[in-house]
Amino acid sequence: MELFTPEFGLVFWMFVAFACLYGILAKFAWPFIIKSMEQRADLIDKGVAYAQEAKAQLDNAKAEADQLVAEARQQQADILRDAAKVRNQIIENARGEAAVEAKKVSDAALVSIEQARKESEKQLRQEVSEIALQIAEKVLRRNVSNDEAQQELVDMYLKEVETKN
Amino acid sequence: MKKVITAIITLVIVALMVFGYWRAAQHHHQSGPVNPKEIIYEHLGDAYGWEIPFSHDVRIPLPIIVKGTDGWHCFLSSSITDGQTYEGYAIAHGGDHNGKVVQVLADGSQVRPWDFSVTKNVAAIFVAALIVALMVFSVRNWYKKHGMKAPRKGTALLELIVDYVYTDTIRPIMGKEAPKYAPYLLTVFFFILTMNLLGLIVIFPGGANLTGNLAVTMTLAVITFFVINLTGTREYWKEIFWPDVPLALKCPVPMMPLIEVLGMFTKPIALMIRLFANMMGGHMVVLVLMLLIFIFTGMFGAAIGGVTAVFSLAFTLFMLALDTLVSFIQAYVFTILSTIFISMAHVQPHHEHE
Repeated sequence: MELFTPEFGLVFWMFVAFACLYGILAKFAWPFIIKSMEQRADLIDKGVAYAQEAKAQLDNAKAEADQLVAEARQQQADILRDAAKVRNQIIENARGEAAVEAKKVSDAALVSIEQARKESEKQLRQEVSEIALQIAEKVLRRNVSNDEAQQELVDMYLKEVETKN
Repeated sequence: MKKVITAIITLVIVALMVFGYWRAAQHHHQSGPVNPKEIIYEHLGDAYGWEIPFSHDVRIPLPIIVKGTDGWHCFLSSSITDGQTYEGYAIAHGGDHNGKVVQVLADGSQVRPWDFSVTKNVAAIFVAALIVALMVFSVRNWYKKHGMKAPRKGTALLELIVDYVYTDTIRPIMGKEAPKYAPYLLTVFFFILTMNLLGLIVIFPGGANLTGNLAVTMTLAVITFFVINLTGTREYWKEIFWPDVPLALKCPVPMMPLIEVLGMFTKPIALMIRLFANMMGGHMVVLVLMLLIFIFTGMFGAAIGGVTAVFSLAFTLFMLALDTLVSFIQAYVFTILSTIFISMAHVQPHHEHE
């Protein structure tokens, strides 16, 4: 039964072959292969993680952009509303100012009219008194004998003055 | 086009079958009735010289290296395989050393010398080692050349196997120590796998029943035994000689230590027997199925023999396919069990509840 009795020579050569194979592969091949395989596995893991992160960021970015757009719309609406308010305000203000100005102008006019009236009154009075003086002179010169006649004269002159005016 | 190719291949196979059958029939006429036992053992056993494909008589000569009582001798196997005696050495026929080189002494008695001959099996071992080296270096060179790019074609297949054995088997079992022992375990795996598969190829670089030979599996098992026990931790040895069992089981009569010591040896022996029996069994079934053709032809004539051939071939094909699977499984089992045994020898002091 040759199969069940190990041959010495075969055992010897098997050991030699295995030792050589192991020596060569363990020195030059396996550690390098294992290291490379693990490095690549890490690389792939990292790539997957990176891709997932990038996707998440992309999704986020979209949401952020939508939010930004919505905010911008909101601001736009606010600005427009403010602008309208400001415009109305300006118009209102202008209107008020114009009214005040107009009132001022009319007041000034009133004042100047009053002044002119007073002036003319003053002038009139002066003239009246001058006229009265002249009349008195004339009366004095005509030697009026009585008071009645004097009074009549005065009235007559006054009437004259009034009609003159 | 595919159909034409299939038809041509089928025709070639059928022609080869007919040719082989005719050759076998002629052989049968020349040498009398078949002797199944002899044929089986001839195929399963070792030989001096390696038959070239499809010929039973032409052999590739291999060196014979022997050390007898008169010192070292080295010559080619072709000088003795045809029954001659060369420098006092011949191949024994019958007797204790049937089929082996013996030294024929002056008084005609035969003595077995120290036989370091490069037999068919030894040559096949070196062929297998060479193939393993080439395969592994092809993967390594890929990484050297292409860096992190994924390998293609054959290299990808090899890398898949390496990945399966290392990442899915060795690393989960060994943990941190995996890179230290992976070279040994991976070498064992690929060496066994290659030897298994080479054994299934019936013609020249294959055809040697390597892992179905006890010497080969024994060598592997002994190496694993030494790796297990030489790297064992103190805790491992403590568990063998002073295990954690009631005192009565270990103090006056060292029952548990005895069982543990026995276990040290049964583990590698189980490895050795498992691989050997599986591979040899597969080869033997294939050989018996093939021999059925010739046995039935001898008993019932050519017609029955022809019918048997069809069934035998079908079953043989099935068995060979099964053996291919078994080749993988056994290489894997040997590796995974070695891994487990080595990692078991690296136990750290117990945490409770474990």
